[in-house]
Amino acid sequence: MPDLAAAFNIARWEAGRRAVYEANENSARGRPYLDSVDIQMGKPLHDQSIDLELGRADIVELGPSELLRQTAGRRVWSSSPVRVMALLFSPRFSARFEDARIREALALAVDRPAIHSVLMQRQGEVSGALLPQWISGYAFVFPTASDAARARTLLADLPQGQRTLSLGVEDAADRPIAERIALNARYAGLAVSVIPQAANADVRLVQARVGSADPARALASLAAAFGLPEPPHADSADGLEAAERALIEGFRVVPLIHLPDVYGVSPRVKGGPGITPLGEWHFENLWIAESRSGEGGRP
Amino acid sequence: MTFRTRLMLVFTVAVVAAVAVVELLVASRTREAFESVEAQRVRALVDQVHRDFARRGLEIVQAVEGIASSETAVSIAIAPDYGRFVDEAAAQSAAHGLDLLELVAGDGAIVSSAQWPARFAFKEDWLAGGGDWKARGAFLKREELPTGFVLALVAVSQTRAGDRTLYVAGGQQLDREFLSTLAMPAGMRVLLYRNLDAQFSPGEIIDASGPVAHAAALRPLIDQVRNSRREADSTLGSGAEAETLHALPLLGYENNLLGVLMFASSRRELVSLEASLLQTGIVVAAAGIVVGIGLSWWATARVTRPVRQLAESAGRVAAGNWGTTVEVSSADEIGQLARAFNRMTHELVAQRERLVQAERVAAWRELARRLAHELKNPLFPLQITVENMQRARERYPGQFDEVFREGTATLLAELDKLKQIVGRFSDFAKMPAPEMQPVDFNKLVSETMKLFDPQLAQARIAGRAELDPRLRPVQADQEQMTRVLRNLVLNAIDAMPQGGALTIRTMAMQTGALPAGVRMAVSDTGQGLTPEECARLFTPYYTTKTHGTGLGLAIVQSVVSDHHGRIWVESEPGKGASFWIELGSDGDR
Repeated sequence: MPDLAAAFNIARWEAGRRAVYEANENSARGRPYLDSVDIQMGKPLHDQSIDLELGRADIVELGPSELLRQTAGRRVWSSSPVRVMALLFSPRFSARFEDARIREALALAVDRPAIHSVLMQRQGEVSGALLPQWISGYAFVFPTASDAARARTLLADLPQGQRTLSLGVEDAADRPIAERIALNARYAGLAVSVIPQAANADVRLVQARVGSADPARALASLAAAFGLPEPPHADSADGLEAAERALIEGFRVVPLIHLPDVYGVSPRVKGGPGITPLGEWHFENLWIAESRSGEGGRP
Repeated sequence: MTFRTRLMLVFTVAVVAAVAVVELLVASRTREAFESVEAQRVRALVDQVHRDFARRGLEIVQAVEGIASSETAVSIAIAPDYGRFVDEAAAQSAAHGLDLLELVAGDGAIVSSAQWPARFAFKEDWLAGGGDWKARGAFLKREELPTGFVLALVAVSQTRAGDRTLYVAGGQQLDREFLSTLAMPAGMRVLLYRNLDAQFSPGEIIDASGPVAHAAALRPLIDQVRNSRREADSTLGSGAEAETLHALPLLGYENNLLGVLMFASSRRELVSLEASLLQTGIVVAAAGIVVGIGLSWWATARVTRPVRQLAESAGRVAAGNWGTTVEVSSADEIGQLARAFNRMTHELVAQRERLVQAERVAAWRELARRLAHELKNPLFPLQITVENMQRARERYPGQFDEVFREGTATLLAELDKLKQIVGRFSDFAKMPAPEMQPVDFNKLVSETMKLFDPQLAQARIAGRAELDPRLRPVQADQEQMTRVLRNLVLNAIDAMPQGGALTIRTMAMQTGALPAGVRMAVSDTGQGLTPEECARLFTPYYTTKTHGTGLGLAIVQSVVSDHHGRIWVESEPGKGASFWIELGSDGDR
């Protein structure tokens, strides 16, 4: 997440495509080493990875697949798990099927470890909680193991018509995860079809960013992001856990994995790391080993 | 129907039947030959498909073994974490032209699946228990895909690296594309039933162009193969749309029935051939019938001509021309028949002449007897009278004149009787030809009955006339017919010396819708006649009475015969007699 305002001034903005920042000569923490930062937006991760390999970019975002293809010795910056990937049942679906057994069955069917180890290439953490372990400290108490047998038991009494639902996934990069969830659901007795139109889906595969390292604020931001009721304020860990448990109790949101922000970094980039545990960018201490036009230079 | 027509019909039917039999035989043999060739063709195709399967299987085995022996497979096998190879199967399957490919770890967990990428980490336990996959080669397998089950030709190979094992299971789907690669001769197609469900599913029947229309019709054949697991044949449809199907089971590596491959051979060619044969047969049959009719016309003419001549000659014999003979033109059965006919007519003529001669002699004898009898009666008084006159002249001269006067009177009376007798004989001999004119027989009968009323009353006979009002005048000689009727009435009166009843009936005879003659009966209630008497009754000079010349009924018969009529008598002893006369339109002749 760009957080360059302290050391850089915005010089050019093309919504959704490009942003150019220039060094703030009057920065309170001193002028940054880089003269400017040119940010290309909306590029697929695969293309970004190629740009990095070809030297057309110095810092790119990496997905699990791109992470596999990183050249040996390439530097990778990774934040703490700051994004939660979850299944979010739409209010429309909840209106159709008030019976929570379907939602619970889907939650039980998902094989989180397989997704984490294979599709996410072990990035982040498997979790049944909204807040990451490193923020809340109690995330491990939320169950993550799949239980297809119990899921089938829950669905046993339901008519076949209620066992069919659509899973929307807007980001094509997440489609393999959705397909795997659909496969897990199939063996649990649910007919899940993956569709790209998330708006019309019964359940969506979504990600939400943890906005703060403060547990209470982070939980509140996540609840807001998922459209859940605002949790009560809690000062203690127990209170916070109870509030979080209350949020996910009805399985309207099913946390799956907490993911970090991962960036591939060109060898030319010196200094850093340029991101914080929360994934914020701090480029003021970075410099480029070789001068390249338009992208900054040696301090 | 004439004999010749029947003979021609027999010949024609024989020709048509022979042609039909030949046509049937040719059609039957043609069908047998076609089906034999068809069976050979299907067998050759089955062998070809088996070879094709073997070739495809070998290609799949080679591809799978190629993957298994690659460095990539070794890398995967020894990798501590299989997660980074989740997309490897898709890349390898594309590179080796496989529809299906799974890389499976030694514990059976899927490392990577090309056909279902999301199935990583699922277990494929069947691989561990499959034994020597290399020896097994390619085999059929029911494979589950996200879209459902498919039938595939699969091979398995193993990569061993130290104590690590990686299974490589790859293959190709048996689908529409697969079927389209099988070269089928014209008029044939190959169909595949994928036996993927427990129940018959018509949607699983495909050919090279996709799902098959009217697939449900194939169910009996498929069920037969599913039950027996053996090859089976069937014919579906009718006419040119019919197809002969040969089905063979496709078994999986566990000897389970996974599919039924069917070779459908159109019978259009056979139907076309049969139609052509039928058309030719009809033309040949028509020509045969025409030739047969011609030949039978000629043959029957040769056979029936002498028969017809015989029939005509027999007709002439029946008409009285007993001397008719036929020409003997051959030595065969017909010739023998003609010779026998000629002998028969010759014998008939000879016998008739002998009979006529005998009858003539008998008639003359009867005539002599009758003449002697008739003449003897008046001659005896003549002789007595003359002797009396002689005696009177010698012994009583004074009384001679008176005796002479009485004697001459007696002589004249007896001479008159002799004259009458001679006259009657003369009349019979001189019967004139009838002079035809319309005669009202009802009137004739009435007048005759009226004439005989006193005589009937004296004889205590009740006379009655039953006349048909429909009767119209009939051509006849009125005088002769009056004589006929009187003779019959007199004959009836003589037959009833103790009295009785006399009935005369007239009836109009019909020819078509119009009256054309008269039938007349004179019946009495006398003693009747024996059959022998009936037979001789119309013989001249024959009589059952003590008086009479025996010419009355002979004259009646003669008159009726001259009118081309017919007379007969019906009688039984003690039940009277009826004399019937028929005069028809022939009387006009």
